[in-house]
Amino acid sequence: MSAVKALLARKPTVLKVLSASGQLGYGIPEQALAAGLAREPDFIGCDMGSVDPGPVYLGSGEMATSPSITKRDLAAVLIGARKLNVPLIIGTAGTAGAAPHLEATLDMIREIAREHSLHFRLATIRSDLTATRVGQALAAGELKALGGNLPVTQTDLDACANLVGQIGCAPFERALALEPDVIIAGRACDTAVFASLPKMMGFDMANVMHMAKIIECTSICCEPGGRDAMLATLDAKGFSLESMNPARRATPLSVAAHSLYEQADPISFTEPDGTLKVDAARYTALDERRTHVTGATWQSATRTTIKVEGSALVGHRAVLLAGTADPRFIAQLRPILATVEQTTRGLVAGDYEIYPRLYGLDGVALWTQAPGPQAAREVFILIEIIARAPDLAMAAAKTFKQFLLHQGFSGRQCTGGNIAFPFTPPELVGGPAYRFAAYHVMPADDHEQLFPVSIEQI
Amino acid sequence: MARLTDIATVIRSKNAGPLTLSFDLMFPTDAAFEAAKRAPTLQPAALARLYNVAPAEVIVTPYQAARAIKIAMPRAIVSGSPGDHDVYGAQQHVPLLDLEI
Repeated sequence: MSAVKALLARKPTVLKVLSASGQLGYGIPEQALAAGLAREPDFIGCDMGSVDPGPVYLGSGEMATSPSITKRDLAAVLIGARKLNVPLIIGTAGTAGAAPHLEATLDMIREIAREHSLHFRLATIRSDLTATRVGQALAAGELKALGGNLPVTQTDLDACANLVGQIGCAPFERALALEPDVIIAGRACDTAVFASLPKMMGFDMANVMHMAKIIECTSICCEPGGRDAMLATLDAKGFSLESMNPARRATPLSVAAHSLYEQADPISFTEPDGTLKVDAARYTALDERRTHVTGATWQSATRTTIKVEGSALVGHRAVLLAGTADPRFIAQLRPILATVEQTTRGLVAGDYEIYPRLYGLDGVALWTQAPGPQAAREVFILIEIIARAPDLAMAAAKTFKQFLLHQGFSGRQCTGGNIAFPFTPPELVGGPAYRFAAYHVMPADDHEQLFPVSIEQI
Repeated sequence: MARLTDIATVIRSKNAGPLTLSFDLMFPTDAAFEAAKRAPTLQPAALARLYNVAPAEVIVTPYQAARAIKIAMPRAIVSGSPGDHDVYGAQQHVPLLDLEI
């Protein structure tokens, strides 16, 4: 009997959910995972991705995590789940959840199965979208930027190397209906990974979603926060939380505070299946390390909405790295850079963008700087160049470097050179550069057709 | 007058998706939380000036259960686009540290 079928047949009234990883592939802490498995959870969930690391991974189809550590983490949760014969659900395969990420993850899963002689039913959920389908929403005026300003055209959508829809519970429920042991999904809501099974089993949706929202980040909701596996236990009234690392305490305040994490609104969360509100939630300490949560509310959506993420190539990046400590050079740095850019453009023809960052002055700030002179003992100069062709970006970087080294300026005494190189070459290949071309929400009444589910015997 | 850095336990920033910058301020006592809620420096108009965005685009939401204040605003540059300074948005909290409460 498959793990999902066995769990659905058993119908436990108290459900133990183990969150093994908030982003699988960076190294799952072993002790806490072992402690979690020893508690015999009813199922294991892992999130494997995020938009945090930027548009490059969705665009390139690469993982942000290293192949060897990713495979190690996958093996740890797969072997653990098979030993207990409990369902394993993994969302946002391979960092960004597009087809290449999903394929690479499935390859690793099959390889681990061979190496450890594991046999199981594997369900797969795809979440790639076509530019044509997203374009329909755009044409209908139903494609809305999520939380900021990102104008998008059909040309932008067509330019996306990968476009994905972030799936909610419904595709997982279709996968669960196939009675698998393991589900690997493309781009998925972190919550859906943990909410779909308890939802299907009839647990109260407000508690299920609130639980899922908190444990998808494992022990980040604790004091002190960390990446150790987290156990949630759903009961008839709510759920309790416990970190599998004894040093981490889930306190009422630390759990409540987690509602703020990476959210624009700490009180109301819109998911494809509905909206969770936590303003009436109550957090009660069971002891020093465990908190029980009740009282969130859930409103099911009348129409399914899907978040669309797309990443488009903008060119190829070359990066120049240099430092300086000369006070007169630092004082005149901005006009000097403008002059060197002009010289570079005069010598290296073509279409490219130059973005300087001046660390020590304002390399980090996106805020409004106070006017007036800035004093810095040293400044780190990072020059980013993006061109259509990698060779052009590198040509501009090399020329920029040499003219910056020897550029004259008023009162110059450092005629040996204006900048210090930490190593050579100081110009590095940055690879293909991408941008998020879509980060929007669209209605998806056709979500059953958009996200196909398949099953295979491993 | 106290500075925010002296009365808050957490002052952090992070993207809430690549288009939104969000800030969390957490306080050790109800008194500090209430003072911060009332502070003119933490109202949308003042925050909009500090981060050069339109006041209507700044949302400030107190959350009593966590003794916390959430601030959200659009990012000037979409996370990871050419010319971005902070892909995760994790270092944009700094001008808040010295705000007078």
